[in-house]
Amino acid sequence: MSYTQLDKMLMKVQKPTRYTGGELNAVMKDAKSVDCRFGFCFPDVYEIAMSHLGLKILYHLLNEREDTYCERVFAPWTDMEAEMRKNGMGLFALETGDEVKNFDMLGFTMPYELCYSNIINMLDLAGIPVLAKDRDEDMPIICGGGLCAYNAEPIAEVFDFMTMGEGEEVLNEVVDAYVRWKKSGKGSKKDYLREIAEIEGVYVPSFYDVEYNPDGTVKSITPNEPCAKPVVKKRIMKDFDKAYAPEEIIVPYGEVVHDRVMLEVFRGCIRGCRFCEAGYAYRPARERKAETLTELCDKLLGCSGYDEVSLSSLSTSDYTQLKELTDNLIEMTEAKKIGLSLPSLRIDNFSLELMEKVQKVRKSGITFAPEAGTQRLRDVINKNITEENILASTKMLFEGGWTNVKLYFMIGLPTETHEDILGIADLSQKVLDEYFSIPKEERAKNINITTSTSSFIPKPFTAFQWAKQDSREEIINKQDTLKAAIKSRRIRYNWHDNKISYLEGVFARGDRRLLPAVIEAVKRGCKFDSWDEHFKFHTWLEVFSDCGIDPDWYLRERSYDEVLPWDHISIGITKDFFIRENEKAKRNETTPNCREKCAGCGANCFGAGVCNE
Amino acid sequence: MSNYILKYARDERVKYISHLDFIRTFHRAVRRTDLKMSFSQGFNPHPVMTIAMPLSVGITSDCEYIKIGFDGDYSCDEIMEKLNGAFPPGFEIRAVVLAEGKKYDFAQLNRAIYVVEAECNDTELFDAEAFMKNQELKVMKKSKSGVKESDIRPYIYDLSANVLSKDKLILTMCVAAGNEYNLKVDTVIDAMQKYTQGFSVKFFAAHRKAILAGENELI
Repeated sequence: MSYTQLDKMLMKVQKPTRYTGGELNAVMKDAKSVDCRFGFCFPDVYEIAMSHLGLKILYHLLNEREDTYCERVFAPWTDMEAEMRKNGMGLFALETGDEVKNFDMLGFTMPYELCYSNIINMLDLAGIPVLAKDRDEDMPIICGGGLCAYNAEPIAEVFDFMTMGEGEEVLNEVVDAYVRWKKSGKGSKKDYLREIAEIEGVYVPSFYDVEYNPDGTVKSITPNEPCAKPVVKKRIMKDFDKAYAPEEIIVPYGEVVHDRVMLEVFRGCIRGCRFCEAGYAYRPARERKAETLTELCDKLLGCSGYDEVSLSSLSTSDYTQLKELTDNLIEMTEAKKIGLSLPSLRIDNFSLELMEKVQKVRKSGITFAPEAGTQRLRDVINKNITEENILASTKMLFEGGWTNVKLYFMIGLPTETHEDILGIADLSQKVLDEYFSIPKEERAKNINITTSTSSFIPKPFTAFQWAKQDSREEIINKQDTLKAAIKSRRIRYNWHDNKISYLEGVFARGDRRLLPAVIEAVKRGCKFDSWDEHFKFHTWLEVFSDCGIDPDWYLRERSYDEVLPWDHISIGITKDFFIRENEKAKRNETTPNCREKCAGCGANCFGAGVCNE
Repeated sequence: MSNYILKYARDERVKYISHLDFIRTFHRAVRRTDLKMSFSQGFNPHPVMTIAMPLSVGITSDCEYIKIGFDGDYSCDEIMEKLNGAFPPGFEIRAVVLAEGKKYDFAQLNRAIYVVEAECNDTELFDAEAFMKNQELKVMKKSKSGVKESDIRPYIYDLSANVLSKDKLILTMCVAAGNEYNLKVDTVIDAMQKYTQGFSVKFFAAHRKAILAGENELI
């Protein structure tokens, strides 16, 4: 028995197993025997980080390499951070406990915009200068990736490079190049960046100059190095069935958000909802075979001892082999008393029967996402769901004994009117009426409907990337309208905080001029912005004002001929397509999904998945 | 169904795992083997399993007990071997016996021996013999009915101290544990500070050496 400085700190903080590592299937290697020590950094707390599918994949992928040791590096919760700063302890990796300042490479994944302050804070805690240009040759190379990397311009100058799109191949390529560069005696960091800038999907922010017009809009984004491509195109795994999928999974000690085996059944989405960045960014939709997934599931359950499996995709019902897969999985999980959860299902006879099978006892809640209150507005956003669908499905559910229904909507959508807001209350009431239309003896007791609204935030690489985002006042008015319009006590209304959506909107379509504000906000204590209890809205407003930034400006409507801060990045979908979609939206016209009819978005340039069907 | 008693150890690597997290960890370890756990009946079947005495966060142990039911006649060696292959690093099953009748009833367990490394302001201030001569040691103690003052002296059966350095003491203590009266190391340290003038403990690390039924080990 003995103890260390770390023990003294861990006895004072909540959930110490966030910081101790050593979980089952965590990879242990001799750090001295590798050429590249890689820190996979997730800018949020352990429970969120350990639920992230990308981390699970890339962690094991990098650790398959003998020359590389990939460790996990997460944002310590505020209690632990305070202890670390008090004791002069720098940000460390979970596997070895070593400080990351001495690593070769740190890769941040950026799943949402509100993690930017945490990235800056983590670098600061590590003792690493925040700006790429301020870091000398001995400092680790800092890279970024993930969904928000497509427009991480607000913090682009933090990164030596970023990777666009799916990381399974490109990450190996940049590490290959790193090891070669290191073994050749390490020229300057710039030499390394020049070399990898040639790789498809690699974006080196310092190789691009951004100029602005007098009105503040972007004038041009120009490469300043011959190796830098005018447009950086995202990478995808063309053959998703054969793409790397780890056969091991780390099993946390403390409970995490998604504490189960996750099976990624397909990537991308055929639907084309006009507001959805993920739906467009992961195009084209590519599936994994039911057989591959069944084998994988067996291995993951065997190595983890988990008692729950969940399917992961943007829209489970669109998986073409759903019946075969669920038949296999039900057989496997029943024998082992393992729970199976099927999120993102559209409700029809097949899925209802399926749910009856997998939820023999408890009837958990069912969620619908109509997103808008009227058919007109659902057509505008191309959300392929009708009122008849919803009412018929909820009727089926109520008859089947379910009583917990959640309805998700967005407010602030383009072209939205007063009627559309009232439509949310109206649709919620109609769902409730369906319940009461069933004879008392045939329905379960205690109906519970939850109607939730989030605020629409125009995102880059969507048909609505030019749209105006509602001001906070407009959002509050709409929320109040809806509150007043919902009459029944059986319907509970939840709404999303307008302040958090506001900041997310500023960053989502932000540019490089926001960086000084992010750095200053972190200095003044901003972090964990996606956590209500830590979000310091007033500090952010003060910082913007002190930095001479008008955040409202970033929420304005943009014209088609404006240069967008992310125009030098390509997700494979043409701007023409987005313009066509935006114009169709204005005419309330829908676009069929990828399987019904190709809409010519441009993603067929990858020659993969649904484009080849 | 057959019930088995498992004796296991937890080392430094897994000392921060809370009681509930440990139960989950244990279930998952069993699932990784082909041993068939017995499940309770009812709407939400859960494995049939009892932990003798929850271990506080931060404490290591040589001697923890768990009772578990299996649907199948496994040899004790087989259970030990399979579970040791399935546990995360830091846990070790040291003995397995078949539980028959009342022989291994956890209710008999009423004492625990701890070894504690304590960082103090001045080790010379503390005199274990003098401390144990106190007729009563009244300190605030958490119980099921809330925090209240309790005389813990009758529940400290033995306590000795070895001076390691000017600021480090090694304490060995045998105290009451279990359902009837459970005395935590923290509470003993509180009493040591309260009843020794000027003495204070800045930090301690504890190790549970044994859980006893009277003077005897269960296995």
